[in-house]
Amino acid sequence: MINKLFEVSMTRSLPLVSLPFRALPIPLTSGRSSGSLGSLGFLILLVAVFSGTLTLSTSVTAAEDKVVINPPAEGSVSQQEGLQAWARIFEVASHPRCANCHTGESDRPMWSGPSYGKTRVHGMNVQAGTSRIGAETLLCGTCHTTKSEDWDNANATPHAAPRVAMNWALAPVEAHWFGQTSEQICAQLRNPETNGDRTMREIAEHLNHDLILHWAWAPGGGREPAPYSLQEHVNDILAWGVAGTPCPQD
Amino acid sequence: MQIDVNGKAFEVEVEPEMPLLWVLRDELGITGPKYGCGIAQCGACTVHVDGFVVRSCQLAVRDLGNRKVTTIEGLGSPEALHAVQAAWIEHQVAQCGYCQSGQIMQAASFLKTNPNPSDEQIDAVMSSNLCRCGTYPRIRSAVKAAAKKLQEG
Ligand code: FES
Ligand code: FES
Repeated sequence: MINKLFEVSMTRSLPLVSLPFRALPIPLTSGRSSGSLGSLGFLILLVAVFSGTLTLSTSVTAAEDKVVINPPAEGSVSQQEGLQAWARIFEVASHPRCANCHTGESDRPMWSGPSYGKTRVHGMNVQAGTSRIGAETLLCGTCHTTKSEDWDNANATPHAAPRVAMNWALAPVEAHWFGQTSEQICAQLRNPETNGDRTMREIAEHLNHDLILHWAWAPGGGREPAPYSLQEHVNDILAWGVAGTPCPQD
Repeated sequence: MQIDVNGKAFEVEVEPEMPLLWVLRDELGITGPKYGCGIAQCGACTVHVDGFVVRSCQLAVRDLGNRKVTTIEGLGSPEALHAVQAAWIEHQVAQCGYCQSGQIMQAASFLKTNPNPSDEQIDAVMSSNLCRCGTYPRIRSAVKAAAKKLQEG
């Protein structure tokens, strides 16, 4: 059984967040998964490529949320503006709501941010293992249970394990953000070898999974939300891409 | 709504957001799973859902779906104890006992996914279930003994 868990989670090609849905013992209770959104994004991209309308805006909905994917026209974002967009992206990526589970080689998620006081490793001796879902020891889903998508107030209790409508997991090793500099994260995110072979548009579309849609900007329980808004973050990623993904070290 | 606990179907009329632990204890009178913290910090409420460990204080009954719940009452029977229960008795693990149904459920599920765990792996898993009586050394011995017994069949 454990081999099966590994097999599926290890055969994925460097996604930003590893979501081995079929491998996980606790299935989604609702029908939607980021897997289907992934294919939707791919389809949209294919249609766009063939029809020559790459700048066509698309939106992906989840419950009542709507995130619009509408990149600025090619050539319309200066390098300076791109760097400003990057600075905001970095604020989001390095924020505890994102970085705590982007811990790179370490399989220990972190507890940090204003709601925790002193930065520390996740309690309960949690080790996500190479599976990144705790399959070797304790599944993240033991406490971070999967909730229904239409249950909005599920995370109101302080200090309880956050729950979303998908399986909880550490981000892949390549997407190392915790404690990393702006330069390091920038280099990682613009490199197809370490960003899951994604264009910036695909990265923006990837942000439509439930952890981000319903939790990172509305974490509840006294936790500080990620900065800006999801739509502003998506806009920044698209603008950064159009500006040629400039990094501070360039 | 209908839920399946220890192989029996129960009809319960509760708020859909009620945690499974509340349903088990207060509605069904199944009191093996204990209330310790209510916020996924202690593991006293651990049950199996389709064979995997879940903190029942964290799972709303609406999110259970058709999955089957096993509590310590359904793990073994007095006549035919589960290997982990037998090892717990043999090693006299419990002190006050409050955390122990959670510990046993945790260990039973762990040995299914990792039949031959190292001391470090046992510590990594079992330290997520709090025991304020400090029975961890006996827990480790009992898990090792149960692993051996299960492997011998
Ligand atoms: S009561 Fe559920 S983890 Fe403490
Ligand atoms: S035996 Fe008393 S809390 Fe564990």
